[in-house]
Amino acid sequence: MKFKDYYATLGVPHDADTEQIKKAYRKLARQHHPDLSKSAGTEAARFKEIGEAYATLKDPEKRAAYDELGRRPAGQEFAPPPQWTREHAFDGQSFEDIDLADLLDALGRRHRGGAHANVPVHGRDYETAARIGLEDAHRGTTLSLDLQDETGGRRLDVTIPPGVSEGQKLRLRGKGGKGRNGGADGDIYLHITLAPHPVFRPDGHDLHFDLPLAPWEAALGAEVQVPTLDGPVVLTVPPGTRSGRKLRLRGRGLANGRGGRGDLYASVHIDVPAALTERERELFKELAGASRFDPRAVVAKESA
Amino acid sequence: MNAQALKVVEVGWLDARETLTAVELSHACGLTAAELDELVEYGVLTPLPQRPSERVFSAECVVPLRTAGRLRHDFDLDLFAVAILLGYLNRIDELEREVKSLRAHLPGHPPHPHRGEGPEPWREPHG
Repeated sequence: MKFKDYYATLGVPHDADTEQIKKAYRKLARQHHPDLSKSAGTEAARFKEIGEAYATLKDPEKRAAYDELGRRPAGQEFAPPPQWTREHAFDGQSFEDIDLADLLDALGRRHRGGAHANVPVHGRDYETAARIGLEDAHRGTTLSLDLQDETGGRRLDVTIPPGVSEGQKLRLRGKGGKGRNGGADGDIYLHITLAPHPVFRPDGHDLHFDLPLAPWEAALGAEVQVPTLDGPVVLTVPPGTRSGRKLRLRGRGLANGRGGRGDLYASVHIDVPAALTERERELFKELAGASRFDPRAVVAKESA
Repeated sequence: MNAQALKVVEVGWLDARETLTAVELSHACGLTAAELDELVEYGVLTPLPQRPSERVFSAECVVPLRTAGRLRHDFDLDLFAVAILLGYLNRIDELEREVKSLRAHLPGHPPHPHRGEGPEPWREPHG
């Protein structure tokens, strides 16, 4: 078994009191916590070390047992005192295969619950994220999740029902780590995000998309073909449609998983040709001369 | 793909459509029933009003409670700190949802800027 210097890990002296240990731990935890740190990969291992050191030193019984091991350099191979094997009856397990933290944990449990206490242990829960396409969210899909646990990697096929939306959290009950001593198996918590779609932007189960209109289509009204998840449909643009107006197509959004669907919104913006033909220029000039429309009338009035 | 041929895994929705008892919530979040009661007292966790005889919670609260429970363990926080944290976590969640919703309403493909055509750009007089 390799020795670990928990006092050095937390940077506290051997005679540090509980308050000092807690303070040192919190400071390091704040620095290395994967949620708060930028380099999550390397920090996770460091955070685990700090956590392990704190779990031992904050518990008076575990700390006493650890102190019994004496002081030695970190990483040095050592064997715990022979009386530990006798006193704690480690089922003939060799100390060489055990991690120091696991040994101290086992000691703590035996002290508290007696040597034969088989406390039910809930299996480990997993948190994982999956990004799916908008169409898959709408129609439902099957995902293959790759999970890493103590026994190595494993793959799990999960059926995602229709109706998930951006940020949806799902729970796969009993699909996490195995429980021990009659404890329930753990769960998998699945966080769903939606991949950006080239046309539609989701808001819950509603969808939005941009509908560019020519000035004459907006002014005169038009029937235009627009995309939906179910294929193109014809949308009637009423005469006098202004830029920024949202035209609703009821029930053409995402399935909500409860038999209904969100709505689809076409967000109008009016586009003009980047270059005009001679004829177009003539017609626009004629319109400019004939029209009494002043789009800045309100602005002019308010700023007057 | 034939979805029927695959082993179907039961999927639970962690949103308002599902509920949990205090015992189930306690298992899911690693907090004891007494600790959940304390969070209810602090006003950051609200049982559903339908069944006053038994405390039932919306499944929406599972993920923020798990996060709060994990941070509690990781930073050795007391339960009052967890309550404060939970309030902020819920607020962040709400604001993130609002930002995403507002983004969906913004035009994704603004009209192209004019290139050498059309009127002269507006010249702001210097003050």
